[in-house]
Amino acid sequence: MTVNPGQFMLARLDDVARWAQSSSVWPLTMGLACCAIEMMTVTSSEYDIARLGSEVFRSSPRQADLMIVSGRVAQKMGPVIKRLYDQMADPKWVISMGACASSGGIFDNYAIIQGVDTIIPVDVYVPGCPPTPDGLLYAVNLIQQQIREGGRGGILARA
Amino acid sequence: MPSTQVPPIAGAAIDPPSLRPPIDDAVIERAAPSELRSRLETLKAGGYAMLLDLGAVDYLGRAPRFDVVYHLLALAAKVATVVEIGTPTRVRILCGVDEGQSLPTVSDLWKSADWAEREVYDLFGIRFDGHPDLRRIQMPYDWVGHPLRKDYPMRGPALERAPRPAFANKTNVVAGSPPSGRTLEALQEQVKRVREGRP
Amino acid sequence: MTLSATPPPEIIAQTENTMVLSMGPQHPSTHGVLQIVLEIDSENVVKADPEIGYLHTGIEKSAEGLFWTQAQTVIERMDYLAPSSNALCYALAVEKLLGITEGIPERAQTIRVLIGELTRIASHCVWLGTHGIDLGAISVFFYCFDLRENILDLQEAAGGARMHPNYVRVGGLNGDLPDGYLARLDALIEKFPGRMRELRGLLQANPIFQDRTIDIGVLTPEEAVQWNVTGPSLRASGVAYDVRKAFPYCGYQTYDLEIPTRTEGDAYARFLVRLDEMDQSIRLIEQTRRRLDTPGPVMIDDPKVALPPKETIALSMEALIHHFKLISEGFRVPPGDVYQSVESPRGELGYYIVSNGENKPYRIRTRPPSMYNLQALKGIAPGNLIADLVVMIGSLDPVFGEVDR
Repeated sequence: MTVNPGQFMLARLDDVARWAQSSSVWPLTMGLACCAIEMMTVTSSEYDIARLGSEVFRSSPRQADLMIVSGRVAQKMGPVIKRLYDQMADPKWVISMGACASSGGIFDNYAIIQGVDTIIPVDVYVPGCPPTPDGLLYAVNLIQQQIREGGRGGILARA
Repeated sequence: MPSTQVPPIAGAAIDPPSLRPPIDDAVIERAAPSELRSRLETLKAGGYAMLLDLGAVDYLGRAPRFDVVYHLLALAAKVATVVEIGTPTRVRILCGVDEGQSLPTVSDLWKSADWAEREVYDLFGIRFDGHPDLRRIQMPYDWVGHPLRKDYPMRGPALERAPRPAFANKTNVVAGSPPSGRTLEALQEQVKRVREGRP
Repeated sequence: MTLSATPPPEIIAQTENTMVLSMGPQHPSTHGVLQIVLEIDSENVVKADPEIGYLHTGIEKSAEGLFWTQAQTVIERMDYLAPSSNALCYALAVEKLLGITEGIPERAQTIRVLIGELTRIASHCVWLGTHGIDLGAISVFFYCFDLRENILDLQEAAGGARMHPNYVRVGGLNGDLPDGYLARLDALIEKFPGRMRELRGLLQANPIFQDRTIDIGVLTPEEAVQWNVTGPSLRASGVAYDVRKAFPYCGYQTYDLEIPTRTEGDAYARFLVRLDEMDQSIRLIEQTRRRLDTPGPVMIDDPKVALPPKETIALSMEALIHHFKLISEGFRVPPGDVYQSVESPRGELGYYIVSNGENKPYRIRTRPPSMYNLQALKGIAPGNLIADLVVMIGSLDPVFGEVDR
């Protein structure tokens, strides 16, 4: 297979871009309920998500790459999450943290949206009620793996 | 295992507050909607400065259908020490309300009743006359139905069971094969091995 | 899920001089999903109308479809910073309806007090950390969460989970404290005074913190009682109402407990009251530790309510049958209603529980301290700056799992 030198340069640039994106995934502060407390714990000194590159949690969706939906999504909050997801710039990733965000969790009732993946596409699901901070760190690791090895991200593939 | 789709036993001919065991948690009174306001004003003037809580219970099948419960605490609204406060008295006023009947508001007596009455309206449908801003508080503003009523389905209206969008189909799960590999054939094979004495 | 076709109602009408701004529901400093519809005149707040309901979970409705012990799992997720206080209030209320309050063993009551006070310290740690980080004091966050990790480790050892351990059960506790727990508790008790000194040293005499919190959000005692504010916010206004002293439970009357109060009623006073409460909790923990040296049962000896010990199931037919019935059907609670309250870190947490004789709750109405504390924001916000609003929300310490349920 002949490799066009232009394509080769772009592929290398793509790798660099993916390396940069995976090393500095900045989450959006989307703390909803109990999982939000574990998300705050993951920023504290014992678990320290900053060493994985998530140095700051951005409050503005325009400045964030990763939306960690941590907590149960109520009926009133659904449109808000959809709007925030739309406001995030490409490429963006979503972690659905906890049982409630992944599938409605223990609340199989009128008030909770049964899984945030009915509103926005999710990349990694983290089980637990709430998941331990190590679980969330592993999820961020998986997102980094996804960025480096293909899928969304880089400069070649459109989101 | 109770199913979330089977409604609990209707409160027909059951009035739990009248059957309650002798627990000394509050002085309990019943008031009719017409005398509720004057009773609460008297109690407030008599030292019950704090409206601890305002809630409702739906006894489907009983007449009157709802019970709006007011919890009051006799606490002087001034700087006071623990010794001065002592053991305050609690009063519980139960007011039986019918479907469609409305109650007078107490949000001018106690400012904390504002949100509590809005919540009772939102979740049960009981209106409060004279409330400055009676609108839904927990559910979205255009929600239809009052969720905490006993005849409201647990899972909500059928429209919430919409089919999952395309991006939510998890294609990385191989349907039909358990992740542990323990299919029926594998288990039968294992049983055979044990019976024949093989490792 | 689409945004609704009908436009939302106009909550505050905009006038010529003022602007209506929505602060939240996604905001770094609102401590959760709170939307405050603000009417502002440049930087001053003219009117603040908090909008809640963004975390409405239908917990009370869910609990109506679950057994009495299962309902406790959803109940614990209301005030998610102090889950054991929810569980304790619920367990006390159901025990009153069952009529087994006298039969709860002494050791279970002592451990309940221990767990309750550890939960109080853990909750105040989150409060202080987030309050500090809202005001820019970022290191306070790390110190507080480090202290909280030690407490969560203990909670995981006893109950099995860091948050929501479901350790306090109807009839007692889930099981006795594991081996080595008391040694770890002793180590933590030794660590506490140094930690509290550090936390106080970080903020108490800090001139920036004092400038931002003194005379902000003043609640007079009359106003506080009108708004139904309870807990540290009420005690900072001078009214020394604490459920542990007024309506004691779990043997609180046998402990040496002081109730810290202040009279200024501002955010700084609430800060000081909560720090003093953490000190009092440490004293209570030391007192419970002294009582825990003697072993004893931790669950009531009633086979209709408590699961039999696992070892007896293979030996005794009655134990097997009781186990089966309790797991598949749960116990039945006689009809009646009860109001039980405890002092949660936020204030008076109360449950009004109605049972109609079956194995599921008929109605669990929560008296949510955070909802009433948050409602007071409508009264104290006008006239302040937007930045003061952040201080006021932090000092009232709402938890939205409880506000919205």
